[in-house]
Amino acid sequence: MNAEHPLRVLIVEDEVLLANELEYLVETSGAKPVGHAMTSPEAITLARETRPDLALVDVHLADGPTGVDAAREMTEHCGAIVLFITANLRRLPDDLAGACGVMCKPYSENQIRQALDFIARCMREGRAEGQPPNGLILSDAFARLWRVHHAA
Amino acid sequence: MTGQKQTQAASDGQSPEDGRSHDLQKALEQRTGLLHELDHRVKNNLQLISSLMLLQARHAHEPAVKTALEAMHERLNAIAVVHRGLFMTEDPGRFDIAAFVRDLAAELAGARPGVRIMLDLEPVAMRTGHAAALALLINELLINALRHAYPEGRQGEVRVKITRSGSEMRIGIADDGVGMANANQEQGFGLSIVDLLSRQLQARVAWEDAHPGVHVAVTLPVEAE
Ligand SMILES: Nc1ncnc2c1ncn2[C@@H]1O[C@H](COP(=O)(O)OP(=O)(O)O)[C@@H](O)[C@H]1O
Ligand SMILES: [Mg+2]
Repeated sequence: MNAEHPLRVLIVEDEVLLANELEYLVETSGAKPVGHAMTSPEAITLARETRPDLALVDVHLADGPTGVDAAREMTEHCGAIVLFITANLRRLPDDLAGACGVMCKPYSENQIRQALDFIARCMREGRAEGQPPNGLILSDAFARLWRVHHAA
Repeated sequence: MTGQKQTQAASDGQSPEDGRSHDLQKALEQRTGLLHELDHRVKNNLQLISSLMLLQARHAHEPAVKTALEAMHERLNAIAVVHRGLFMTEDPGRFDIAAFVRDLAAELAGARPGVRIMLDLEPVAMRTGHAAALALLINELLINALRHAYPEGRQGEVRVKITRSGSEMRIGIADDGVGMANANQEQGFGLSIVDLLSRQLQARVAWEDAHPGVHVAVTLPVEAE
């Protein structure tokens, strides 16, 4: 990852242990955690204040299944790109609420690192080099934007 | 609830049969919702346990403790990969072992630079109830190949092959590394797990010193298609 402009990452997750682990993964992959929210209002406030490049968002938060709406808000009004990290694939709308993609729980640390790396690169270059790494499912809109061709 | 709905259905001018099938439909939806909720909980809890193990591994000062925790984390990860695959197929009672191996291999691929994992996998559906045991067994053998066969930056290729003939499935894990001749003769914890699991799965595990490397073949019964 680019050392001069590390990816600034907001973590939106109601399980503190998981948030802590994600923070560690973000840091050790050369990105910079800028905050942690457990509810959707907290997430939106933090996103407005910190203007993250990327928000890692769980669907189920401390105030209920509010992650989807929070993601839409952060995408449309806070300039963030959202990546869902959830065991709740079924709760996601077809357009992924404007998010760039989704990772399924249970994820591995490797998967998260590779996904962060891939997204950082796409954001820098404006397009992908090759296929997304194992475990990262891109939304149709972002697959087009980053010119990822679906493998047969 | 039920009574209310039936009156409602009746006042809608529907027959009692319509009301009953509506209730059944509702009950089914509720069941499915519960199942999904449970699936979600299991996945979340697996994630929690995984994070706890990694947290403690990072806090551990003694190398032996660290290694043990990391090995347990790898095992848990194999089970987590199984769960990621569940509910993704059409029949939740069946599990595609080839899809599991692909996912696990992608996970382990970066672990040893210079060692490639080559896959040649025939899809084989097995009972979901056996999935975790077989996943753990494959995990031990594959990790052993990656960890022990290529010391000191040796390079090579581990091949995993799954074939099915009739009511038997064969899983081959073949490395081209240093072989087992110089291995410490004592069986480690990993291979004792392999022993136990193979008993549970009624699997035969055959070892061959292949010069170069070790070829392991696991053969086990699967139900006919
Ligand atoms: N593919 C392999 N190539 C070379 N040596 C191996 C291989 N698989 C297992 N071994 C040897 O067998 C020993 C026992 O393995 P195991 O019971 O899994 O314990 P551990 O992996 O914790 O050492 C290993 O320490 C290693 O010396
Ligand atoms: Mg071992």
